[in-house]
Amino acid sequence: MNCPGTVDAGLSDGVAIVTGGSRGIGRAIVEVLAAAGMDVILTYRQDSVAAAEVVAAGQGLRISTELLDVREGAACTALVEKVVDRTGRVDLLVNNAGVIRDNPLTIIEDEELRVVMETNVTGTLNMARAVAPHMIAARRGKIINISSVSGEKGGRGQTNYAASKGAINGFTRSVAVELAPRGITVNAVAPGVIDTEMSREVRERAGDAVLSRILLRRIGRPVDVAYAVWFLASRYADYITGEILHVDGGFKME
Amino acid sequence: MAVYPKIAEIIAAALPCEIERVKPDASLIDDLGAQSIDFLDIVFRIERAFKVKIPRGKIVEEARGDLSAAEFDQRGVVSEAGLQRLRAFLSEVPPERFASPLKVADIPRLFTTETFCKIVIRQQRAQSAPADPKPA
Repeated sequence: MNCPGTVDAGLSDGVAIVTGGSRGIGRAIVEVLAAAGMDVILTYRQDSVAAAEVVAAGQGLRISTELLDVREGAACTALVEKVVDRTGRVDLLVNNAGVIRDNPLTIIEDEELRVVMETNVTGTLNMARAVAPHMIAARRGKIINISSVSGEKGGRGQTNYAASKGAINGFTRSVAVELAPRGITVNAVAPGVIDTEMSREVRERAGDAVLSRILLRRIGRPVDVAYAVWFLASRYADYITGEILHVDGGFKME
Repeated sequence: MAVYPKIAEIIAAALPCEIERVKPDASLIDDLGAQSIDFLDIVFRIERAFKVKIPRGKIVEEARGDLSAAEFDQRGVVSEAGLQRLRAFLSEVPPERFASPLKVADIPRLFTTETFCKIVIRQQRAQSAPADPKPA
């Protein structure tokens, strides 16, 4: 994994928690942060094999895994306590865990609405709420929420998903206000169309037409998003808070 | 663990300020410059240090006792009955600090170092007390 490791990003002693870190964008984030020297705890909900693969692929790096359903507030608190008990700190939270259940509004199922909102919104809040007291006490820390271009631009068949990501944007700005007095920064990264298993169905449905709507004329790679997270986590972004950084090849401009 | 020295240490670390300034009757807001986020930090540190749980709003809830919410305050201003309860419950706070009218939102201005010591002691007692026997 290539990483801008020739510069001191101020990450090498840090501890990061990345939710939903076993696949796709989350995995790329885990690998970039670990390559930058961070002690990374990735959480996963189902796929223990994929989580173990991330650890195996990152030989020599500090990557560990924890089973977690971010929808469970008490479990999120317990996980953070466990991390702090082991490492004595938590410097970075990347709220990446998220799900898509696309359907046109009129036929969307209650369960499709519930699982998207509970995972994407409640899960993000649960984890931020769990790490915040530790960061407040330490007077340092960064929270990066993975949003989506859908949160601003919307998308056909994505009413639940777009609503959840729009909520994350508002949440990001509000937490940034609350935690700024202690020097804690809170930002979001909003990916566009990225080459992951989770977005495969969306990309297949959109076909080639989607490329014509991306200014840079290519689908994004998970690592494109991971580098943006690396930047916001680094000391180079110490003066940035409450921002939504789009990583979409210009998708939202079209 | 002795309660007062640890509470003073926690408050000094959270604000931060010199520990000599953290006197028992010091108002955290008016004397030590605490902001709302500092209270979150202080309560978090106290909970970890003393292994107690301090629910949000615990002080006002306990001070209110059997007074209903409507009896305790009207439109955010503490009633005379509510003030009496507060004076009795926060007996460590010098009487002259109980301004009238007192807004509910301003109650935290009354909290002193000793207020937090009392909370910890009460919570420690509550947590170590045997649970009520279950009915047969």
